[in-house]
Amino acid sequence: MATDIPVLEISNLHAGIDDTPILRGIELEVPAGEIHAIMGRNGSGKTTTANIIMGHPDFEVTDGGVELNGENLLEMEPWERARAGVFLSFQYPQAVPGLQVGNFLRKSVAAIRGEDEAKGAEFRKRLKDAMTELDIDRSFLGRYVNDGFSGGEKKRFEILQLMLLQPKLAILDETDSGLDIDGIRTVAKGINAAIRGTDSGALIITHYSRILEHVQPDKVHVLIKGRIVKSGGPELALELEERGYEWLEKEAEKSA
Amino acid sequence: MDAASLYKSLDEPDKADHLWRYTPWRRVHPSGDLNEIPIAASPKITLSCLDDSVALVGISVEEGVVGAEVLPESDEVTASFIRAAAKESVYTLRVEKNFIANSPIVLDIDTGDSNCAIHLTLDIGRNCEFELITQISGAAPWTGFLRTGRIGDGSILNDVVIGHTDSGVLLRVDSIAIGRDAQVKAGTVSSGSARTKADLRYKMGETGGHLNVLGSILSASDMHLDHHIEIHHDAPETFSRLDWHSACGGNSRTVGTGMLRVAKGARGADAGQLFHNLLLSEKAEADAIPELEVSEHDVVGCGHGTANGPVDEDQMFYLESRGFDTEEAKDALIAAFLNSTLVEMGSDTLHNWLAEHLQDELDDLKS
Repeated sequence: MATDIPVLEISNLHAGIDDTPILRGIELEVPAGEIHAIMGRNGSGKTTTANIIMGHPDFEVTDGGVELNGENLLEMEPWERARAGVFLSFQYPQAVPGLQVGNFLRKSVAAIRGEDEAKGAEFRKRLKDAMTELDIDRSFLGRYVNDGFSGGEKKRFEILQLMLLQPKLAILDETDSGLDIDGIRTVAKGINAAIRGTDSGALIITHYSRILEHVQPDKVHVLIKGRIVKSGGPELALELEERGYEWLEKEAEKSA
Repeated sequence: MDAASLYKSLDEPDKADHLWRYTPWRRVHPSGDLNEIPIAASPKITLSCLDDSVALVGISVEEGVVGAEVLPESDEVTASFIRAAAKESVYTLRVEKNFIANSPIVLDIDTGDSNCAIHLTLDIGRNCEFELITQISGAAPWTGFLRTGRIGDGSILNDVVIGHTDSGVLLRVDSIAIGRDAQVKAGTVSSGSARTKADLRYKMGETGGHLNVLGSILSASDMHLDHHIEIHHDAPETFSRLDWHSACGGNSRTVGTGMLRVAKGARGADAGQLFHNLLLSEKAEADAIPELEVSEHDVVGCGHGTANGPVDEDQMFYLESRGFDTEEAKDALIAAFLNSTLVEMGSDTLHNWLAEHLQDELDDLKS
């Protein structure tokens, strides 16, 4: 059931790395049940935003706040954020040779959703259903986490985790990059299944509008040089596809 | 000359020798008085099958049988010393030709609680196919374990030796010939003893031999685990890979030294060695020295490499983003690192057994 408290609230967020400012005052709210998209060129701060919400230790927040359902995320360790309900689908997921997918998923679900959710017939059924939906073969469970995976397999594996972990906030960082159109459709189906009709929210970070044809966003935000310079409905993504970012960059320069 | 006389006729090994660079003989001798050869007790030996419904037919341990000679490629000091100490403790693992087992065979060696030595010969007939887990446990202050012998032509053997004595010194020597077209995986899992010195030598003197030497080494507190591995390609069309993973924590030290020798005439030899060290604390120390001696030009390839480093921060962040707390993430990465070689040692059954053993060892180190 939707409440007035947004799933994600970012206020006046300033952050950077090694004393280099990257984010310069981001304001953003994602209400429950909504999917928002952040679009921008390379280097605009999209991935930094995702990493800061997840708590990457390389980045330093110099001002502002990030809240999940009213809870201050910035005071939490990354694993505490994950257990509080934040999920980040990585642009480049890490390979962990030697760690089997099946064990990894069980441990992750146990840590985030509780031991009872990670065992028994019900867990196995959820796992099987999600794998079927994402067209992932059962042999996947015996492989090592992201080790030797193709680009498409890595992205589908991230979405498999999203479906099993059922987070309150899903951040999808360039999940569409490296996927063909069938892959985008499959991944989009997974995202819609995990977010639509729930109390969760999602933030889709993307360079292109392709995935937004399959996951209709409620709002689109444009990030330029660490600031959101424009927000609008799904039509904004189409406008960006046609006109590019230059006109917005010029507008941003004028107002700066 | 008997083994004791041979040992006494030899000079103290020189530290300049690759084998003795990091762990001098004096430090692994039972008393430090190099002229002394201890009266070592025999261990308790048990042969069984992991699947206890399988009858052991065609495989047996015979006591008192004089086994195979030590290869001339082996170090004389360690081999003669253990042979002398183990003169009352000689065994042969005899495996009849065409022996096949679908479940791993387990050879338990319980050292007891006093100095212990054993000379075990592997007499493995041709066209055998099985997995062998040799487990050395016990509380002996010093254990000497020498294996000699030959893996028969065309045999397929997954051979894993697990060293997890409670403490003390483990001196281990392998001096093993690989038969024609034999396929051998020689695994070492080492997580016990205060000090281990292992000198593992494999000779591929007949064509078509295929050897994978694998190590999963876990050291903690003040442990000192030194493994030297030599692979001799003396015949054409022989293949070997050495993949050695050491995770090193506390004040401990691991050493891995490798030597690949490709003799003149070993055409088509294909050899490679890799040492990976995972450093888990600032005081832990890991050395890896791979060396090559290639005397034949017509080889498929001969390579070597090392990699050392702490736990990968990006992998840590990935696991933490999936709900693993910092300690759980680190433990999972250590287990994964050691599992990368463990999984290559044999079948799923063998791997599951080894993985459980390794997890127990990891839990013990934390408790």
